[in-house]
Amino acid sequence: MQAWLRQASKRGVPLDLPAHGRQLWRHTRRHPLDTAISLVVVVLIAWAAWNSATWAWKAADWSVVSSNLPLYLNGSYPADERWRPQLWMGALAALTLITLLKPAQGGLLRWLQRCLPWCWIAMIPMGIALLGGGLGLSSVPSRAWGGLSLTLLLTTTSAALALPLGILLALGRTSSLPLIQLSSRLYIDLMRAVPLIAVLFFGQLLIPLFLPVEIEINRVLRAVVAFALFAAAYVAEDVRGGLQSIPATQNEAASALGLSELQSLRFVVLPQALRIAVPALTNQAIGLMQNTSLMALLGLVELLGIGRSLLANPAFIGRHLEVYVWLGVLYWLFCTAMALLARRIERSGPPMSRHSV
Amino acid sequence: MNQSISTAITAHAITKTYANAHRALDEVSLEVRQGEVLVLMGPSGSGKSTLIRTFNGLESLDSGHLDVLGLRLDAEADPRQIQRIRKRVGMVFQQFNLFPHLSILENITLAPMRVQGQSAPTAREHAMLLLEQMGIAEQAEKYPAQLSGGQQQRVAIARALALKPEVMLFDEPTSALDPERVKEVLDAMRSLADQGMTMVVVTHELSFAREVADRVMFMDAGRIVECSDPTTFFTQAKEERTRRFLRQID
Ligand SMILES: Nc1ncnc2c1ncn2[C@@H]1O[C@H](COP(=O)(O)OP(=O)(O)OP(=O)(O)O)[C@@H](O)[C@H]1O
Ligand SMILES: [Mg+2]
Repeated sequence: MQAWLRQASKRGVPLDLPAHGRQLWRHTRRHPLDTAISLVVVVLIAWAAWNSATWAWKAADWSVVSSNLPLYLNGSYPADERWRPQLWMGALAALTLITLLKPAQGGLLRWLQRCLPWCWIAMIPMGIALLGGGLGLSSVPSRAWGGLSLTLLLTTTSAALALPLGILLALGRTSSLPLIQLSSRLYIDLMRAVPLIAVLFFGQLLIPLFLPVEIEINRVLRAVVAFALFAAAYVAEDVRGGLQSIPATQNEAASALGLSELQSLRFVVLPQALRIAVPALTNQAIGLMQNTSLMALLGLVELLGIGRSLLANPAFIGRHLEVYVWLGVLYWLFCTAMALLARRIERSGPPMSRHSV
Repeated sequence: MNQSISTAITAHAITKTYANAHRALDEVSLEVRQGEVLVLMGPSGSGKSTLIRTFNGLESLDSGHLDVLGLRLDAEADPRQIQRIRKRVGMVFQQFNLFPHLSILENITLAPMRVQGQSAPTAREHAMLLLEQMGIAEQAEKYPAQLSGGQQQRVAIARALALKPEVMLFDEPTSALDPERVKEVLDAMRSLADQGMTMVVVTHELSFAREVADRVMFMDAGRIVECSDPTTFFTQAKEERTRRFLRQID
């Protein structure tokens, strides 16, 4: 079956169905075992799909989802202030769409697309300001933040902190100064040796101990710092991989033009290294988003936390499957969006296929 | 200092030993005059690249010293001195070494803008002029991967010229090119020589050496074996080693 598909795709599109049919028939007769396995697999898939569909249509009670949509989105955010997290998520969605759209020829869209990187960076202070309040908005304690908006805030802010931190660590790791190299390596190895949940626990318990009593930094910020410190170690290794794949001749060419070490790094080596690291960094970002659900165990009611608290409600007892399927779909949706964004970034750059080796 | 008016580069017994204890340069002394084209030849591993790369500080020295455009370069040279030299000495590599993530225009304007602090329009205008001289102005917006080897190497020459250098170093600029692309790069170098640029060229292109070089220098095992004008060099080389080498590449 697979061999047949491979052959078919090799011969390329215009699908000539009768011809394909004939070939399939010939292949079937020639490889009976192959055919039997294919049939079993097809039947299994169909059976699973049928069962899931009947469950979703008939047996499942989706009221646990449909009657709690605002909760999933915003958690226990004050009802008359819900427009704030929703505005932020709307802005994120709009920005994602604009980024994914084809480059426009002119007008507002073109202008927006040109300052996309800045817009993305601006999303983070915007999210914190909208959720937290200030600037004329009434302040909402981080205790009340929750749901999807909290998940997204945790993900974006930790990622935005982890990236520069990771780049610095990667540079330290490849530095020629022994002390810097050693400390970066120790940090990276340590962070990679500790499970994330432990780092998160330490973040919740230890960060307050290091600070004077008056400064009470909120739990979300503590979580963000812990996520960022953890993810930075992995980001550093991805960036280091990128850095090491840039041939030394690039640095040489930059030096020969009179660029300083720092300029060569900033204008020649780092941009190329980061582009190479994009696929790996996308993995980190997706992993980070999924890992934010660990905070449900540490008292933040982000997306998973909302699900858990709803399941604890007697009205929705036993609706585990519905809740987790729904959450699964949501996480899938956002991780797919991230993957699409990353592919866009990969493709937006110049053709890099031929490196002058 | 009087001599530095007519001399671009002077090497005083420079020695370079690599980490594997291989002596790549063995007390090399030479002089490159202002406005002359010096061609360096020699078998593989004879130290040609090492020598030419010491001229702009890409390789450090172990002993001896260099005088590059009146600037001293020795084993203890500090990075700022090396940078001063690099701003005035351009270099073209065998593998082009263009920056693949930057457009042709950006490749050329990077150093003028970041090193010399030129404004973007000024740098771009000069870059376009250089690209026109190289006959590839229409490629300005493309990326290196979209150009042929010959075009890439001409961009590399334009990039080196963008800092208005007084000396140009070429390390086997045509060795990585398809035979039919060699001529366009050699022609660009020839016109540069005609404009009076001081050039040190490592190449095995005999016609270029015959027609463009003022002097041809032969190196072997980290030493200069002989050096003379092209006619003498190609017809009546003094050393047997040179003659053997010439027979091999002819
Ligand atoms: N980075 C290095 N480390 C150790 N040895 C080196 C290094 N670079 C060059 N060498 C050695 O120094 C000697 C001179 O090398 P160089 O590259 O200058 O020769 P070349 O004349 O340019 O040769 P080619 O024609 O092959 O380019 C060679 O024996 C080479 O093996
Ligand atoms: Mg060489």
